[in-house]
Amino acid sequence: MSTESIAAHPQPVNKRKRKLQLAPYLFVLPNLLIFTVFIVIPTILGAVYSFHEYDGLNPMTFIGIENYAEIFTDVKFWQTLGKTATYAIIVVPLIYICALGIAILLVQQIVLKGFFRAIFYWPTMISFIIVGLTWRWIFGELGIINGVLEAVGKDSVSFLSDPFFAKLTVIIAAVWSRLGFFMVIFVAGLLAIPKDYYEAAHLDGASKLRAFFHITLPLLKPTTLLVVMLTTIEAFKAYPLMFALTGGGPNKATTYIVQYIYETGFAKQELGLASAMSIVLFVIITIFTVLQFKLTKGGEN
Amino acid sequence: MKKNSKAMFVLLSTLILSLLLAACGSNESVNSGDSGKKKTKLDFVWFSDGVEGEVMKEIIADYEAENSHVDIELIEVAYSDLPTKLKTMISGGKPPALARISTSEIGAFSSQAVDLAEKLGGVDGFTSQFLDSIKPYYVVDNKVVASPMDVTANGIMYNKTLFDQAGVEVPQSSDDIWTWDEFNEALKTVLNKSDAQYGLVWDFTPHRWSTLLYQLGGSMMNSDGTAATINNEAGVKAVDYFKKMHDEGVIPTSVWLGGENPNNLFRTGKTAAHLSGNWMISNYKDITDFEWGVTYMPIGTNRSSVPGGKFVMAFQKSGVEEEAANFISYLSSKEVNSKFNEKSLFMSPRKDSADLNYEFGKEMFALFADELNNTVPAAAEDWSKQDIVPKFSTDLKEGLSDVIADGKTSQQMLDEIAELINEAIEDTK
Repeated sequence: MSTESIAAHPQPVNKRKRKLQLAPYLFVLPNLLIFTVFIVIPTILGAVYSFHEYDGLNPMTFIGIENYAEIFTDVKFWQTLGKTATYAIIVVPLIYICALGIAILLVQQIVLKGFFRAIFYWPTMISFIIVGLTWRWIFGELGIINGVLEAVGKDSVSFLSDPFFAKLTVIIAAVWSRLGFFMVIFVAGLLAIPKDYYEAAHLDGASKLRAFFHITLPLLKPTTLLVVMLTTIEAFKAYPLMFALTGGGPNKATTYIVQYIYETGFAKQELGLASAMSIVLFVIITIFTVLQFKLTKGGEN
Repeated sequence: MKKNSKAMFVLLSTLILSLLLAACGSNESVNSGDSGKKKTKLDFVWFSDGVEGEVMKEIIADYEAENSHVDIELIEVAYSDLPTKLKTMISGGKPPALARISTSEIGAFSSQAVDLAEKLGGVDGFTSQFLDSIKPYYVVDNKVVASPMDVTANGIMYNKTLFDQAGVEVPQSSDDIWTWDEFNEALKTVLNKSDAQYGLVWDFTPHRWSTLLYQLGGSMMNSDGTAATINNEAGVKAVDYFKKMHDEGVIPTSVWLGGENPNNLFRTGKTAAHLSGNWMISNYKDITDFEWGVTYMPIGTNRSSVPGGKFVMAFQKSGVEEEAANFISYLSSKEVNSKFNEKSLFMSPRKDSADLNYEFGKEMFALFADELNNTVPAAAEDWSKQDIVPKFSTDLKEGLSDVIADGKTSQQMLDEIAELINEAIEDTK
């Protein structure tokens, strides 16, 4: 549209406009450079690798779509992807509900509001590795919980050796560490809803619950879309937390897709195959995101 | 005002661009190694488990004093980053002159290594100075691809305080070594009659598990590496026994299922024994809460440890291959190698330096050396096949966990691993 309007204008204005348009590009230049060097180029390289047999060291040999064919018959890959999906199905709603719930509580006029917001936000500033270690010190064999159990004369429990408890620990740690970030987004979303709607609803005799379901939730649709999309992508990419907390165990119970790809690439030295897996994961996440976007009409009301 | 801000953008973006370019450029100037009047620079990629980095710095200082035209720079990386770092450097066309390397990486990088044979006095002349058991690791296709720096052996550390408390005495000489059943019973006694909470912690690696495999007469592949043997009767026995010790609570599941660090468990003073390797001597040196020692590993159909080690490799196309080889020759001399191992509390791979004057744990090193002298050839033969081992070792580790967690039977799991091994052998042909 902008090019059309420029073309319609006489020459001098056109020149002036062009000059002015340089600024925005300069604005994005630093980020664009970093994005190109660290995201775009590696992605293209990854796509190239995916059609080759490559160990990262010796010359690549082109093998066409053999890597992709191998993935489609690799039961472990799809099992791991299924496990990751299950994890996402549990973690995404949990983070959504907890973040929204806490955001609603913390937009009320309460004492020490800033303090509580900070407490929930702080964990998001800690790296996943530290979060993992921290929860390991709580649930681990030598962790605080077992220390307390022993102190009161009970037998210690090997939480992280039990698939169910290990998964639970990972979920708790993930929710704890990400909750604050999405709470802040919800707080912004909630504050953007005009107060008048609630006053009108109150005058009409609507209950708080009704107001929530008929005013808050619909008006939070764009925020909801953003949060669900981000948490879903995050859940599919989860690895550093499990790496530090469970190492993917017990017996692969918490080994999700990124760890599986990592192990294929770096432990088994099959970088070509691992690249193909990354591309498959990339396509799946893209389809999912586009679908979500379409279904919610881009989050517009 | 507009002009000002525009100038600032240009300035900013130029700055960022030049920073980025500078970051790329600096690498080149480091590696171009213009060898005119300046010193020859050797990049030496290094990782440390204990104090050996400091010892190496001393050795480098000595060498530089004698050879003033050489400047050796130690690039220290975490061991876990070593393969990636080396791969990046080599595939980027800027290989380091030298790298410290362990048995797990040596195979993958051997095609990039300088053949040191000529410099070090021929294949036979050089290898005859070192323990025979580690030869398959560093001699590939009759080329000396690396030089041994230290040798490692798997073995058992035990908590003497707990054993004394339970009134259990460990074998005093190689004549009265325990069988696995006797060892298992001894651990149960310690668990019952002392404050011990854990019997035996066992490093969470297939390499350490394989100690039991070799002791029970098994192997992963046949000696010429043409077929998998891991799923034979001995292999199944080794997995079954490993699972049995877990089921009976002698080995805690928290290591192989919970990913708990066995070193931490041993350090609590509530663990009777730890199956690991001689490198733990320097790690446990500072323990003061309880007494600990090294004892003989139990015997199956035979005794065995698993030999390993760390090596120094020189890389092709570094532009300083000659100087790198000279330095390796210096490192592998009796005097320098003995100094390195004595001060780092490692075991020397040299036949003529077996008896070093350690300031700590001399008798423990003697015991590890005894384990190494009673090791079956299959152990080094298997683990030196580093073009095949990485293709199944992760699956073996997971498979063992799976058996412990009742996911598969020993035979099922080993049959799957054998299939992977055979596939990998097929791929290398």
